[in-house]
Amino acid sequence: MFIINCPYCGERDQSEFSCGGEAHIERPKQPTELSDDQWAEYLFMRKNIKGIQFERWNHIHGCRKWFNVVRDTSNDKIHAVYKMGERPPIK
Amino acid sequence: MINNLRINKNNFIDQTIRISFKFNGKKLFGYKGDTLASALLANNIHLVGRSFKYHRPRGIMTCGSEEPNAIVQVGKDSSLTEPNVRATEIELYEGLEAFSQNCWPSINFDIGGINNFLSPLLPAGFYYKTFMWPASFWEKYEFFIRHSAGLGKSPTKPDQDLYDHQYVHCDVLVIGGGISGILSAKLSVAKGLNTMLIDDKDYLGGSTIYQDDDIFKINNENSNVWLKKQIETLNKIPNLTIKHRTSVAAFHGYNYLLARENLIDHLNIDERKGKIRQRLWKIRAKKVVIATGAIERPLVFSNNDRPGVILSSSIKKYIDYYGVKTGENISLFTNNDSAYETAISLNKSGVKVKVIIDIREDSNSILSEQVEKSGIKILKGYTVIDTDGYKRIKSFDVMKLSKDGGSVVGNKITYKSDCLGISGGWTPMVHLFTQSGGKLKFRNNDNVFIPDENKTPSKQISVGSSNGDFELDDVINNTVKNIKIFLGLDKNDFENLNIKCSKEKQKRNIWLLPSNKPISKTKPFLDFQNDSTAKDVKLALREGFKSIEHVKRYTTTGMGTDQGKLSNMHALGIIADTTGTNMGDLGTTTFRPPYTPLTFGAIVGRNVGKFFDHTRRTAIHDWHVKNKAEFENVGQWKRPWYFPKNGETMHQSVQRESKAARESAGILDASTLGKIDIQGEDASEFLNRVYTNAWSKLAIGKCRYGLMLNEDGMVYDDGVTTRLAENHYIMSTTTGGAANVLSKLEDYLQTEWPELNVYLTTVTDQYSTMSICGPNSKKIIKKVIPNLDLSDQSFPHMSFKNSKINNVKCRIMRISFTGEHSYEINVQSNYAKDVWERCIEAGKEFNITPYGTETMHLLRAEKGFIITGQDTDGTLTPSDLQMDWIIGKKKYDFIGKRSLYRSDTIREDRKQLVGLLTDDPKEVLEEGAQLVESLDKPIEMLGHVTSSYFSPNLNKSIALAVVRSGKKLKGKKLIVPMENKNINVTITDTVFYDKENKRLNA
Amino acid sequence: MLNFNSPIKEEKKYNDLNIIEVEPIIKINLRSNKREFSTKIGKILSILPPNEANTSSGNEKFNLLWLSSDEWLIYSNDKEMSLDDQTNLEDKLFNEISKLNQGAVTNVSDHWVMINLNGNKVYDLLSKSCPYNFNDFKNKKGSVAQTIVNRIDVILHHKEDDNLNLFVRRSFSEDLWLWINDSARFI
Repeated sequence: MFIINCPYCGERDQSEFSCGGEAHIERPKQPTELSDDQWAEYLFMRKNIKGIQFERWNHIHGCRKWFNVVRDTSNDKIHAVYKMGERPPIK
Repeated sequence: MINNLRINKNNFIDQTIRISFKFNGKKLFGYKGDTLASALLANNIHLVGRSFKYHRPRGIMTCGSEEPNAIVQVGKDSSLTEPNVRATEIELYEGLEAFSQNCWPSINFDIGGINNFLSPLLPAGFYYKTFMWPASFWEKYEFFIRHSAGLGKSPTKPDQDLYDHQYVHCDVLVIGGGISGILSAKLSVAKGLNTMLIDDKDYLGGSTIYQDDDIFKINNENSNVWLKKQIETLNKIPNLTIKHRTSVAAFHGYNYLLARENLIDHLNIDERKGKIRQRLWKIRAKKVVIATGAIERPLVFSNNDRPGVILSSSIKKYIDYYGVKTGENISLFTNNDSAYETAISLNKSGVKVKVIIDIREDSNSILSEQVEKSGIKILKGYTVIDTDGYKRIKSFDVMKLSKDGGSVVGNKITYKSDCLGISGGWTPMVHLFTQSGGKLKFRNNDNVFIPDENKTPSKQISVGSSNGDFELDDVINNTVKNIKIFLGLDKNDFENLNIKCSKEKQKRNIWLLPSNKPISKTKPFLDFQNDSTAKDVKLALREGFKSIEHVKRYTTTGMGTDQGKLSNMHALGIIADTTGTNMGDLGTTTFRPPYTPLTFGAIVGRNVGKFFDHTRRTAIHDWHVKNKAEFENVGQWKRPWYFPKNGETMHQSVQRESKAARESAGILDASTLGKIDIQGEDASEFLNRVYTNAWSKLAIGKCRYGLMLNEDGMVYDDGVTTRLAENHYIMSTTTGGAANVLSKLEDYLQTEWPELNVYLTTVTDQYSTMSICGPNSKKIIKKVIPNLDLSDQSFPHMSFKNSKINNVKCRIMRISFTGEHSYEINVQSNYAKDVWERCIEAGKEFNITPYGTETMHLLRAEKGFIITGQDTDGTLTPSDLQMDWIIGKKKYDFIGKRSLYRSDTIREDRKQLVGLLTDDPKEVLEEGAQLVESLDKPIEMLGHVTSSYFSPNLNKSIALAVVRSGKKLKGKKLIVPMENKNINVTITDTVFYDKENKRLNA
Repeated sequence: MLNFNSPIKEEKKYNDLNIIEVEPIIKINLRSNKREFSTKIGKILSILPPNEANTSSGNEKFNLLWLSSDEWLIYSNDKEMSLDDQTNLEDKLFNEISKLNQGAVTNVSDHWVMINLNGNKVYDLLSKSCPYNFNDFKNKKGSVAQTIVNRIDVILHHKEDDNLNLFVRRSFSEDLWLWINDSARFI
């Protein structure tokens, strides 16, 4: 169980949150313009990194806000949290 | 016999309180403060169990949680019995009943003992090698293997005991109440930090608390006296919580630890009732101090497993703490100084120490010199090569070690002894450190893995012997120095203590001691519980296993309930020596939680019985109970399934309820449907994007059915949404989908469409919903809400009205899930029961019939309405459901739209929703049954039945199914093969009843 | 009037712990990210919605709890508030905020059940199944926390020392009530 520093509520136990998978995958603005392959790329393809991964989390049992987390999947260390729409603070 | 093994000299055992207990049916006595192990030893019982594989007699070997042999079955009762409990950890209580395990018919005569003589035939990997072939015989082998596998007996009835959980947040958690833990805790509380000190024993002080020897002095007091004074001040500190009998099981990331507290296992049986047995502490600590100490290693030589062979430090604890002599004629065998401490203790207690065998050539420490002065014989540079005695050691053989330690020389000397203390040095308990992500380093001079300070996770520290400090002065000075930095302390009381102790001068380590016999003729045990020997490890290496993880599993070394606390280091050492590798490079096997076994009860806590899962109740629940509803679990909700009358079966109830709903009036509690209040100027645009159909033109006061997809184009949820005002809607979702739909919609609003001004608020529990349907529903509503205009012009199908019942606001929707003329009343939940009762009262003259989910499912199936989650499973598009009409073709985009024309979703041979009629109208299909075209093998599965009922209104069986290319197969005959028969069916339209929807306005 | 039927009908007293449902209480959920919103609320309720996370504002009549950066919960201290007064307040807020596209106003009086817990064992009890760290919360009057108790969503509002109001969804309220009472045996 990690502790996640919700950008709205502060540090809380992981059990208050749910993970929404990889971050920074923007929904295409004009899906109809895309080929099957391009659409499938958006729809299905996700990275599964051992190491630094950018993830979306939702404080589902708290403020209900979505935000981004930079987590090292090899040791669960969270390097940063930042709000939706903000740029990742680290590369 | 009994009392001459108990000496009267210490404060730890209360010899005024005698406790009776039973071991293998025999009544015995011990004293308050004893463990089962110390009480057995006081009764001169060493033999307590049989080993797992060879059924060799085994005795108590240690005094703590590392015990591999003395594991017993506690309790006779079939619900309270517990297997695999370490006798060394059971505090004696009145009425304790314990039994040996893994022996039949008795501990003294065990049939399985024959395995010992067959042992040459049972090498490492025996089962893997023997039961491989022929493969078809596996089923026959399995029975016998399973029969002989496993230790102890599981309880056969539910556990009656209570278990609890508790979260706690502290500044500093100190694990271990030995001298280093106590110093750490005292330093922490002095700094004003909220501190928790955990120890697995019922007393604090570790091994120092009984270290009563002039050699070990702190500020001119014997170390035990000094420490006792420190402990006595602990109870008065308000920011310190001490948990006794509590063992940390797991150390996870972010300093999250689980610890099990034993609360009643030490009490007499009659004092336990109604009390929590174990509490699992879920600890979040800002900082953690690991002070878990070290355990003594055995030595590996032939027949080192006989009862009476005991770790030397345990012999010391039994004599100094419990006042129990482990033998009358004790010898010691060591590679380090700690056995000399034992010798001094024994000598002081008047127990004869026959001889000390020390593999070192010279060991001129203060300790050894004192022992030598006392006249005890010491053989330096010697090793034990074998022991004798079946149920108890009788004698052992000794030979001189060669210079390089690789062989023995000279003549064999035999010594008679009824107890042999062995000491192979010390292993720091680094389990919790590595569980938390710390990495170990190997210290060559004394062969220990210790925490690598450069690879220690932040906010934790290891101190004392768990950090590799074994001498009293190092333990104290390093603990104080390191804790000072760790907690950022100023000057403190424990700096510059005057410490006097003996220092070890010589070290020598031989993982597998040589013998005068070839290894194949010896039995040098490594893992006492799993019966693996040094031979097995060497065999595994010869057979090509290289990774320590593989060797471990192949030989089962370290895989017992003790998880190899005693054996792992020797196994590693032997692998390193045999393969010529440095132990540090070899690494260790992974230390996984729990450190000591946890009961399932502790893991589950109080989430058993009625708290196993949540129960959500509607505001009308009490009425349903009073009216004898049978309930169905829908997610966590309790929903009325059907309302049996006069002993009806479910089928009879459902037939009656569904007929009544169509012929006159039915009423359903639909409160469990999800309800989301949608407000904001972009609400219509938002709905356009989340539903497949168009919403902008929906007039205020109208309702519309919507289908929600995932981005992959598959149907996700459905429901009716009502436009309450220009920018105000109320959406209904399925019962099971409510939480997920809200979460998904919030996700889109917050992440993809932040430009939309829309607010979502769940009101599922705010409003209760009752649906009244049937030809007489209008008359009933008229009676309940007399001033509401119910004319079709004013209040047509798919529209809504605000109203009031006795001054309480309510919303009435004219929507239908049954195909009948029907109304839904939504009212604040705390008034819902009253409104429901008014409807029942008003409907009496029309035989209003409450119905449950089963009738609801039947009625909608007659109309071919889908239930998402029953007729859909996340693999069906709207088109697969024959619902192409609901797709807004003109809309540029909505969730999932692009996926509706991917190459896969436009395939014509997708599974599609169809209706099914059985050729025999009385035959009701089973939901989930497969559909096939012919019975020629291999049989191709074309689809399956998703919903199936006997319709009383049609007087025949009806079903919905998904079938490959189903849309094109109307009229086609298929077969539903069942266990005993094949059922013939015909594919039909999905709508079975009132195809023209005439009844909606009836 | 219709019969009012709250889910919990009893009060329980244990050593160092009292628990009781407090109903009927009007509760209104507010959502907004508009600038004028705060002033409008101030005018209607005479209290401003708090901007600081995990806090609340209040006067004798109302409490205003921070739930999120754009969400608040109003609840009244007055059990005797008439249904008409409740409706008037809701309508007033709705007309001033929601109708003018300044946010959303939603009546959640019956969505949440309010249970008052008081006594010096309150936090021990909650911590049996709540991972929230109460160390700061219990020292600060007016603190608000949304978290889980026995895996059920709750809102906690610190009223006074060892006295807090717990909000739980109505459908879960009996379940949580049973759990709280069961837990109270062991504190």
